[in-house]
Amino acid sequence: SSHEHKLNFKKSKEACLSYIQDAMLQKQWKRAAEFLTSYVESLEKDYSREPIGPSEMIWRIGTEILCHHSDSSMKEFNCFMEQMKTLGVKRYLKVCLEHIYHLLCNGQIDEAYQNLSLAESWRFGEQTAIQDKEMKLIQAYRGLLDYYSWSKQKNILLEHGKCLDGFADLSVEQEMHSCFRKAAVNLKEIIKIPGVWDVFVKCYVDLLEFYGDHNEACQVLNEYAYNSKFPANPNAHVYLYHFLKRQGESKKSLVSALKILHDLVPSHELMIDFNTMLQKSKKRKKRRLGLEVIFAALDYAGWKENVKAWSCLARQVKQIVISEKHLDWIKQEWNSRKDWWPAFHFSRYLAKRNWQENKSLSYEKALVAGIFLGKDCKYFKYVSHQGCKAQVKRFRILKKFVNRHNPVYLRISG
Amino acid sequence: MEFPATLFPSYFGAGPPREEGGPAPAAGWGEHGQVLGGSPAAGDAARRSFGAHPLPSPPLAGDAERCPGARVLVPGGSCPLPTGRWIPSPAPQDILYRNSVCRKFRADRSGATLDFAKQLGHFFVDHPEDAFGSMGRLLHKNFYLGNSKLNRPARSSTIRMTALMKDIDRLEARRGCHRQHLASRLRWFSHLCRDWLFEVPLGLLADCLHEELLLQWSDLLFDDSLTGGALAWLPPGNTGSCMGRLVYPGGQAMNHLFFQDMVLEELPCARGSPVQFELSGRIRQVAAARVDDEDFVGVRSDYHCGVWRVPGRTGTAPAPLQVIRTDVPASCLTVSPHLPGELAVCTRSGTVYLWSVETGLQQLRHDPQTMFFRDHSSWRWSDFTAHPRVLSCADRTGLQCLDARAPKKCHFDLFKVGEEAACQQGERVVLPMYLGRAHPSQYLVTTQFSMYVLDERLPLVPVLKWAHMMKAPPLFAHLMPGDPGRTHKVLLGASRTQELLLLQYRGEKWSSKGGSQSACQLAGAPQKLHSIAGCLQHLPTQLPHHHHLLQQRLGSLAAGLAAALQEDGTCETMLVFQLSEAGDVFCQRLTHEAAHPPTPTSRDEATTAPGSSPLFEAPASSPLVLGTAALRYHRWLRALFRGCREHPQHSLPPSLSQRRLFTRKELEGPTGPTALQKQVRQWLRQVMRERGHIQHWEPLALQAPALPQPPEPEGGPDLLSTRLTTAWSGDWEQWWEDRTSFSVAQRQRALRERRRRQKQVRGRRSLSASFTSSLTYQSELSELSDAGPPLLSPGRPHVLSQEGSPVASSPLRGSPPASPAPEEALLSSQSLRCRGIPKERRKTLRDYLSVWAEAPPEPLELPGSQASQLCIPSSQSQLSSASQTRRKRPRMGF
Repeated sequence: SSHEHKLNFKKSKEACLSYIQDAMLQKQWKRAAEFLTSYVESLEKDYSREPIGPSEMIWRIGTEILCHHSDSSMKEFNCFMEQMKTLGVKRYLKVCLEHIYHLLCNGQIDEAYQNLSLAESWRFGEQTAIQDKEMKLIQAYRGLLDYYSWSKQKNILLEHGKCLDGFADLSVEQEMHSCFRKAAVNLKEIIKIPGVWDVFVKCYVDLLEFYGDHNEACQVLNEYAYNSKFPANPNAHVYLYHFLKRQGESKKSLVSALKILHDLVPSHELMIDFNTMLQKSKKRKKRRLGLEVIFAALDYAGWKENVKAWSCLARQVKQIVISEKHLDWIKQEWNSRKDWWPAFHFSRYLAKRNWQENKSLSYEKALVAGIFLGKDCKYFKYVSHQGCKAQVKRFRILKKFVNRHNPVYLRISG
Repeated sequence: MEFPATLFPSYFGAGPPREEGGPAPAAGWGEHGQVLGGSPAAGDAARRSFGAHPLPSPPLAGDAERCPGARVLVPGGSCPLPTGRWIPSPAPQDILYRNSVCRKFRADRSGATLDFAKQLGHFFVDHPEDAFGSMGRLLHKNFYLGNSKLNRPARSSTIRMTALMKDIDRLEARRGCHRQHLASRLRWFSHLCRDWLFEVPLGLLADCLHEELLLQWSDLLFDDSLTGGALAWLPPGNTGSCMGRLVYPGGQAMNHLFFQDMVLEELPCARGSPVQFELSGRIRQVAAARVDDEDFVGVRSDYHCGVWRVPGRTGTAPAPLQVIRTDVPASCLTVSPHLPGELAVCTRSGTVYLWSVETGLQQLRHDPQTMFFRDHSSWRWSDFTAHPRVLSCADRTGLQCLDARAPKKCHFDLFKVGEEAACQQGERVVLPMYLGRAHPSQYLVTTQFSMYVLDERLPLVPVLKWAHMMKAPPLFAHLMPGDPGRTHKVLLGASRTQELLLLQYRGEKWSSKGGSQSACQLAGAPQKLHSIAGCLQHLPTQLPHHHHLLQQRLGSLAAGLAAALQEDGTCETMLVFQLSEAGDVFCQRLTHEAAHPPTPTSRDEATTAPGSSPLFEAPASSPLVLGTAALRYHRWLRALFRGCREHPQHSLPPSLSQRRLFTRKELEGPTGPTALQKQVRQWLRQVMRERGHIQHWEPLALQAPALPQPPEPEGGPDLLSTRLTTAWSGDWEQWWEDRTSFSVAQRQRALRERRRRQKQVRGRRSLSASFTSSLTYQSELSELSDAGPPLLSPGRPHVLSQEGSPVASSPLRGSPPASPAPEEALLSSQSLRCRGIPKERRKTLRDYLSVWAEAPPEPLELPGSQASQLCIPSSQSQLSSASQTRRKRPRMGF
């Protein structure tokens, strides 16, 4: 009966699919391709109502196989993609996008641009929300490629500008401006929608800065960093910070930009810059913040062996100990860490390893350990002992310094 | 620790997942997802990759339950082998109600019917003392187990249980019939006893049992107690050494913890005997982390968690540090990679603890509700993050990070099942894992559909997402961090289907000098590794029952996953260990090969036949490996089968009812061919081979004990039809007259014949009496009477049957055999008593024997042996031996 036939057909279809999956997961691309030719028959009677129908399956599997198959060529790939585009209306834009990505990955920028233009002009009835998103992405990528050609022409102009001027220059300039307009329109659209748009924002800001529209650029970056609908992307703050720095903005605004980044990501690498900036400040409050920042950064496992950070901390702690002012700052910071920093940073094993791997790291850490944990601390003892044995001068000075300031340790820990 | 300068573009939305869908078989293929501008950064060209070693995973170590002495030497070291039995976890058929009617109705519906009554019945049968103990003793006098009728005074206070038992049996036999009529007697009894008979209140017991059944059933559908896996690899202390440690559970109840030293050679070998600890519960999870050159191993069972310290130096024994007990089963135990002796514990009541060996437990959160939306699962998970004081907490709906110093105030959402990560509807978190060894701020989250890599500096937005297409949700994961410039490898393992998937991703490698700053991307195509069950086809052919055993053992659930990296000069290999629920550890080797982008090798595509697994074709260096692997397999198999022989599968409890014992069906002949049939068949075959033809059945001796014929119709058409015919024609009276006179004459003739025969026999008896017992004499007699007229020559039957079919012509055919004296003797109540057969049974036994005596003598062998199995031993076996002597004699040429 027809029902039974359907059932059998479905069964063999599934079996075929599982063979393909199996071959692909074992990287047997040729075998998978052979099975796929049989699987194409499943298009004949597509009764399925599954979220991913056979035509999508063929597109996905075929693409993957063509990406890895030893005999496949770009031409074949393009041909396959064109066929796939005709298989489903709903999927048209998605297939286009993936095709474009593939072209971009293979450096075929011009073909990608052509495809983008084609896809952009595609219209089919009412668009779904997903198709809308895909269309926006297509436009954004076209804007990106426009930006690339803009920057190419800009470079030509900058190079040629020195030696010759005249008619040829003018046409290049005109073309460059038209590229700018096309890119700006499309890029501006996508970065309004919540998302991670690092590439597009960077390009758009570059365009705006070139044409001197700093207000717009500042607004775009502020929006990207501080709009609560956008994800908390550290890069947004980094871009803003760099922009402000380029604009020669005041220290205050730089500090406030970095302060927000510090609140979001205390372990960001810009925290060293932030710390040095704060340390230079004359205000007590900012120096205090600087200490907090460097302590917070060193809490993270990723900073454990960062010499720069340790030297920042060592320098500041040394200053405070020598001046004997604001010992309470250290005390406060240390209080919340004294139950786990010794095991996390100052164990005997780490002393040994740091000494073996990085002498200057162990120097900085030994200083901090000596002040916080006293001269009997394992880390300090081991490093200073090794340092003196190796007859390195600064370790001897370090030992003297810590011994002299041992009472500080008692005050901090008490 | 730099953040990538540019991330891949993506949309960001908030709210519940919008995308519909379920498991999609090809969802992970063919997508770049995103690209970063015009640079070839989409992440498809992996320069280095691991290729699978086409070797089935050889078993490595098993449960060394009978540890000392049970080990067998393998070249290069000793290897504990599985010798113990393994108790498989319940299968659906153990729990579900098996009923054809029900199945028909519910085939399309997802709901399953739990066989509640059967389980409750099991309880009563298995624990009668607990269920009815004291009540049984009280009522002892009022229950009568015999068969005979009760007399008057006793009847008023005693119930005859045998009748009730019969009714129950009848009910059992009609099980599944949807028009069940309860026997009124049963209904009456249950009404009478329901409230007071049971020691344990029935309602309470039923509630508990039902709850447990539901739990077991949901465990069968998806057992999340295994999350994390119970296998850990402790890498060598210093990089030069190749001695690591494997930590795994074993023993019949998986409650022994083993620390086994392993030498990584071409195949990993166990060195020395494992250090063993006996725990008080089934080990669900083994987690390990290395801090300051010391390994800390956390072990989770349902109600206990323990932590061991394993010093880095080899040769030092692991030391147990602390154990905690929980009221509610624990669902998670992770070990801090930052601080020695710190662990995170979650219980199913929704509590998260930070457990420090020095300072004890600190409760971070208590919330029975799930975090982001309501989900019924009580599963919780917790792991560490880049900050040693910040822990992640997970339930099925997402992940949050909390600061242990101020858990109520300081927390942020790391992952949410929702539009933020572009999840599908119905997607749930299955396993989160901190990827600290690859990058200190990265996190792996797997769901049943996808795997995500998250960066805690950019919460909620996955930096990598891939639909893994696994058939079962990945419960185990293992990270193998790569050096700078290399990919990180993540192994995902499923429990039920034993799937194993190797993924490689490239992210910025963190180092003190700062690394490259590219965003995360997958490298190369994912790769499926061999599953445990997959190696069955590579093993030598086994006997069917061995094959079945092996299939069962290899097909058991996977229970853990670990991997080790072995660098041996230029050659780099990855060893993947897989633990099965039966306690076996299997291992497979992946050798590293640099990919050649211009001319891709086709070594992986060596297989041709559809569905076949990689061929047994080994790369240049490994015939030795293959040899040792095969050898090890061989030994493992031998030990496995030996172990199973020693512990035969426990047979059914002897709870068969008497009625079943005596059904007619069982008394019917053997279904298989008898020796005679076999012989004849063989002969037939031989003739066919020789292309001859059969004219007559020559080996007549074989035919002698032929099946008895039904009583002869007395010549011509049968009695009834002749009678009817005559009645029809009208002279019925005449016929009756004839008939009676005929039958009288016939009876007279028969009597005369019999006398003559007895005379003959008496004459012969003087010959044989000196060496035949009366018993055999009797049986010979009946034998002879079966075979035909008594003939003295041994060669005679041969001749006779050549002549035709003399059997039918024997005048004695229809007469009953001589009186069955031996049976009679057996059945006397005296003899039964002295055989120790209880009074109640004697009658049934007598019934049985009488049935047996009436039954055709031929198929006696089977019921005899069956009966002796069912423990009515002595009398039965004697009877069967008697029947054997009777059949053997003539062939010996008496």
